[in-house]
Amino acid sequence: MSAEHRTTPDTTVVTGAAGWLGRALVHRLLDDPARTSLRLLAHDTAEATTLRAFVDAHPASAGRAVEIVVGDIARPDTARRLLHATRGVTDVVHTAGIIHPRRVRQFVEVNAGGTRHVAEACRDLGVRRLVHASSNSPFGTNPDHADTFRADEPYNPYLGYGISKMQAEVAVLENVAAGLDATIVRPPWFYGPFQPPRQTTFFRMVRTGRFPVIGDGQQRRSMAYVGNIVDGILAAELVEGISGRGYWIADATPYTVAEIVETVGRALTDEGLEVVPNSTRLPVLAARVAETADRVLQAVGLYQQQLHVLGEMGHSIACDVSRSTAELGWVPKVSLHEGMRTSIRWCLDQGLEL
Amino acid sequence: MRPLPAPPVAPFAHRLLSDDLPDLADDRREAAVAFVERRVATLPSVMRLGVSVLAVVFRAILALPGGWRIARAVLALPLPFVPEYPRLVRSLAYAYVWETWPTTSPTGAAR
Amino acid sequence: MSGALPAGVQVLDDTTVETDVLVIGSGAGGATTASVLAAAGIDVVIAEEGDWVEQGSVVPFSLDQMDRQYRAGGVTVALGFPSIAYTEGRCAGGGTEVNSGLYWRPPGELLERWRHDFRISDFAPDDLLAIADEVEQAINVRTVPAGHSAQSEVLRSGAARLGWRHGEVPRWMTYPHGDDPARGERQSMTRTYLPRALASGARLLTRCRIDRLVMDGGRAVEARTTLDDGRSGRIRFREVIVCAGAIHTPALLQRSGIKGHIGRTLAVHPTVKLAARFPEAINVPDDVPVHQVKEFTPHLSFGGSASNPGLVALSLLDNWASFRRAVTDWPRMSVYYAAITSEGTGRVVSLPGMRDPLVTYRLTARDKALLGSGLARLALLMLEGGAEEVFPSFKGAPSVTSRRDVGTLSRSFSASRASVMTVHLCGTVPMGEVTERCGADSFGRVHGCTNVRVNDASLLPTAPGVNPQASVMMFAIRNARHLVDQRSSHVR
Repeated sequence: MSAEHRTTPDTTVVTGAAGWLGRALVHRLLDDPARTSLRLLAHDTAEATTLRAFVDAHPASAGRAVEIVVGDIARPDTARRLLHATRGVTDVVHTAGIIHPRRVRQFVEVNAGGTRHVAEACRDLGVRRLVHASSNSPFGTNPDHADTFRADEPYNPYLGYGISKMQAEVAVLENVAAGLDATIVRPPWFYGPFQPPRQTTFFRMVRTGRFPVIGDGQQRRSMAYVGNIVDGILAAELVEGISGRGYWIADATPYTVAEIVETVGRALTDEGLEVVPNSTRLPVLAARVAETADRVLQAVGLYQQQLHVLGEMGHSIACDVSRSTAELGWVPKVSLHEGMRTSIRWCLDQGLEL
Repeated sequence: MRPLPAPPVAPFAHRLLSDDLPDLADDRREAAVAFVERRVATLPSVMRLGVSVLAVVFRAILALPGGWRIARAVLALPLPFVPEYPRLVRSLAYAYVWETWPTTSPTGAAR
Repeated sequence: MSGALPAGVQVLDDTTVETDVLVIGSGAGGATTASVLAAAGIDVVIAEEGDWVEQGSVVPFSLDQMDRQYRAGGVTVALGFPSIAYTEGRCAGGGTEVNSGLYWRPPGELLERWRHDFRISDFAPDDLLAIADEVEQAINVRTVPAGHSAQSEVLRSGAARLGWRHGEVPRWMTYPHGDDPARGERQSMTRTYLPRALASGARLLTRCRIDRLVMDGGRAVEARTTLDDGRSGRIRFREVIVCAGAIHTPALLQRSGIKGHIGRTLAVHPTVKLAARFPEAINVPDDVPVHQVKEFTPHLSFGGSASNPGLVALSLLDNWASFRRAVTDWPRMSVYYAAITSEGTGRVVSLPGMRDPLVTYRLTARDKALLGSGLARLALLMLEGGAEEVFPSFKGAPSVTSRRDVGTLSRSFSASRASVMTVHLCGTVPMGEVTERCGADSFGRVHGCTNVRVNDASLLPTAPGVNPQASVMMFAIRNARHLVDQRSSHVR
């Protein structure tokens, strides 16, 4: 690992702090006593309350300077309020975004607009580095099941979410061209503690043998354990000289959907749950129909989560992390099986029914 | 096998090129159309048959009053293989024009 | 006229010709076959439909060359949605006289897959590679002596910036003028294997089109020809080897009433193109870049195409209304391609009463998606290689000057609105012992016939994902030697 590292900043700002990735990141930041001052953005007062409770529950939170700011990232003034008068050297991690909205126009307002506000504010207010949490969505899906996304790929946004995330990246890169120091991390399908309720459905489907495998299940998917993503974000924050670069953050190799279902089944069994072997197979046609329906709905501004997810299941989304390892000195530490076990245990600890 | 008559593409090719490349001099357009005719005459048999049919149909359309407008409307329809006719004529003609007179402007003017 | 023909070459003039082995076609397959047989003392007549055209007597990639050395002036199309344009050489030396000259050994995994899936016997990699060594010597496979052209450099530098694997591909060339890279001489069949065949006593008849083979059960008795002046002729032989290319070999066999797995599995490398404009003059009109980007092997590969002014105009044609402004910039422009391996397949069907076959090809949904992805990656490669503006060759394409524009390209691409072409054609008489899939056996003997062989790109069971000429020559030499060995073991 020859990557040169910067020192921990005086202030770390996190948008989307109450979200899945946000909370995993905040938890890690609290673990590190060198992170003396945090400033977290919550969307509204209800979210701020749960976020405060989350922070206070952390063993190392007593006496730590953790400030929670309330605001909607889609509004132009929120980012400036958030970054106003931060103490000392400031890094920003931007994870606020919307994945499964009610209306499609929320994609543009929150993902594209919100990111542009953050990037401009970071540039104007002298932030040391902005790390932007992107996704595989600006790049679409692999055109062939044997294809893998390299570190540098053309944009090929997959529907509304993809377009908004592409616009978000473009906004960041345009600000980099104007002097901002920023990096982009791109996690694909991620899982792990702090996951939202929809992921519980995923475990339940595997446990009851009803996960819809499309065709022969040989579609390849890259997956990322949230802990590995946090490691990647911290590396993308602190490594010197990488402004303007984007990095895939995922497990070392992609898995087939069949392998994923089998591994998750095993993890469930290892955590003491009874698993029915998966027997649900849908023809490729089903995924195509769902994808078409998803496209039609999004074209008229509507969004239906299950259709979207089913439509995507027929595709491969596989990425190559070798440049991330080479330039960030980052390696994915937690394997799929171990990560899934930890996830399952976390769900059970929360009292969730799988 | 007796050789079939060459597909009668000249009227269509003339009209198409006049439209596409309005500044192309008459003698140059004549030369380009002649080249297109020569090449179309040596097309492989199946293609030649298809092009012949289209050439005859479009020649008839062009003979009508307002024929070119009608022809353009037909070409805009989502029919299989019909759009390949102007495409074939264009690719032959443009390859000829720009190989023979490489400084030709985008509208066909000599430079 | 290009002057006197070499000794042993003449325009077909006799209505009756007799020989021991008739080789139909003088391209990569036919020329090597004839050379091996003639060297073994076998009486060979090569029937070539086209003319003998000396290297250097036509301008490469010109309309004149298309007229004299290509079938139908280069206008041949596999019908489909979209149709796929292809080209066939039609002259002494066939495709080797007009192709890019890029030489690729077939990858080991590919040979193994062919051997396994098609049950090709006696197909040891070491034997084949020994033949490859021979071929490389005989046609002088080598890299460009000095620095690369600017057109090549675009590919090299763009790929380097993106971290994509790339390399110079060697060609069959000599550089007799003191290693001057601009004055190379292509070592096509008319320079290499045809002169060898002629020196060993083979005869080459030009303007000799074989109409059909007359069959008596499984045995071919003679070939019917039509001379230049319209007279009918015949060529009598003991054995016939058809090397007319992946389209006309199956067409001829079908016209002759030979049944079997022939013409049903045309395999191609569907290709889409773009034109890119650079800040400085870059266009070398009669040469083709030698760099290829192989990062996405085998399903995707990128390279440069011939870019004379006529071809630049053609690349702008699909979107002429918005792209035509660029045509006068052709000195600063170059055409590049993205080629894929296809999951689709095509057919060659000879139609009664028609001189040429019907050729069709069907692309799958995955093929179409891969073409779009390939073109987008290629556009990105162009930007990283220094292009100011990129013009993708499909109707409705945006002009590309930034990465965001590449996103627009990805979203607006449709294969049905693109100019899809292929320069490689294979697979129509697949070689091997799997009877439901193979038209010829492990040595090219047509199943169901006693004295008819095929020895050209038709034998390659699938499109190889690399320039196929090396593979064609290797198989042709292997199979021709098999015939020679069979003959001598019979004599003993």
